[in-house]
Amino acid sequence: MNDKLEQELKKALRRTDPPAGFAERVLARAAKEEQAKLAREKRRFQWFGMSGLRLGVTCALCLIVAASGMIYQHERHQQGEQAKEQLMLALRITSSKLEIANQGIRQINSPEQRPE
Amino acid sequence: MVAISNVMSAAAVPARDLSFEDLVHEHERMVFSIAYRFLQNAAAAEEVAQDVFLDLFRNLSRLESAAHVTFWLRRVACHRSIDYARRNRNAASEVSWDDLGDLAPGDGRVKHNEDPMLSKRLRQVVATLPEKMRMVIILRYQEDAGLEEIAQAMKIPLNTVKSTLHRAHALLREKIGTAIGEGNI
Amino acid sequence: MKRIATIVALLLATQMMAFAQDWDPGGVLKKLSARAANAVDVNLDQSMLQFAGGFLDPKDPQQAKAKKIIAGLKGIYVHNYEFDKAGDYTPQDVDAIRAQVQGPDWSKVVNVRSKTDGENVTVYFKKEGNEFKGLVVIATEPTELTFVNIVGPIRPEDLAELGGQFGIPKVQVDQNSSKKGNDK
Repeated sequence: MNDKLEQELKKALRRTDPPAGFAERVLARAAKEEQAKLAREKRRFQWFGMSGLRLGVTCALCLIVAASGMIYQHERHQQGEQAKEQLMLALRITSSKLEIANQGIRQINSPEQRPE
Repeated sequence: MVAISNVMSAAAVPARDLSFEDLVHEHERMVFSIAYRFLQNAAAAEEVAQDVFLDLFRNLSRLESAAHVTFWLRRVACHRSIDYARRNRNAASEVSWDDLGDLAPGDGRVKHNEDPMLSKRLRQVVATLPEKMRMVIILRYQEDAGLEEIAQAMKIPLNTVKSTLHRAHALLREKIGTAIGEGNI
Repeated sequence: MKRIATIVALLLATQMMAFAQDWDPGGVLKKLSARAANAVDVNLDQSMLQFAGGFLDPKDPQQAKAKKIIAGLKGIYVHNYEFDKAGDYTPQDVDAIRAQVQGPDWSKVVNVRSKTDGENVTVYFKKEGNEFKGLVVIATEPTELTFVNIVGPIRPEDLAELGGQFGIPKVQVDQNSSKKGNDK
């Protein structure tokens, strides 16, 4: 007895198209969010960058003083974390630029790629 | 990045890689439809659907496969739609039947053996169901999801899905039967 | 004491060299950096890459990808400059950098102009025989410049790993189910 009801429900409840431009609006929001995130990372990098030289000098002095092996370890860990942050930022910047190039190639090669 | 790497390398890429953009285009209809059918309001549905895709954007690194993406999107679309309805309970209750008419499914042509009045009435009745029941119906008949999939998407026990579906059928038969006449369904 | 001073000097010099430019014809990058409202200059030579790589968390998907990408690389140098207004840098500034990738080993892969914000992105790669030995990206906008120089064997699959937004994995689709998500 449920079969007829289920058939009618399937007919009645079909998917609908989102409004025109929906995908573009989503992508624009995502791009904006990504740019904001990148901008925050760059500001954080600039803060680290300014203190990088001071840290480098501090590290050299700690080696000389050698008051404690732990001080050296701590500074080295800090430098390592900084280097890692720099690397990740560099990769993110590279990635964002490469994606623009990639989209260009895709548009050139497959203008009818998007399903309607 | 596939395009540039293809230029660099003559070897074909073994499997198709999807970018976030591809995923949006592939799943926009599914996500929007779940939200729209549940909320019965195009503006609200767009807001929810956009938020779902932004969630995807932030969490994509955790997803492992295309199937995982589909499941994840469906689950987040469910929860965000239900949350939206609860937050905007007063607005959501002001249903506009004209909205449903403007965004009718399919291409607008009446197919043979279809009764558009019955379909419209069913949609109206589904729209009046309690939230959990409505979502179960949408996932079952609009999304063609299995009972286990519905249970996982909504994070409810399988038995709850079964009993909810059973009650929903009874309620729908009662309401549709009243409108059109007993025995049709 | 003299020995200690020598050690200090050497250590400081090492620190300075760690921030040295990879290629900076006529010091143009230094000038751009000074002129920019915001500047990001990342200079990671091979030793710094190895050092940074030791701190990457393999459990983090993004960092695991990074570790894979930098394996074998000799350096990553990224310079990003934001300016207050258009005209704060000149085409000659960019040409000085472009001149570095005009040799016979270099090929221009793509030149793309974005319609939305007028950003121009050019990608070059360096090939020796059948091996890719480097990648350069030059991106220009009215108020922003980006130069990327990746030195070392960059593989096409590494490039694919960089992704649209770094960290977002490519989602593999089964060949047999490539049209999932068809509408009803």
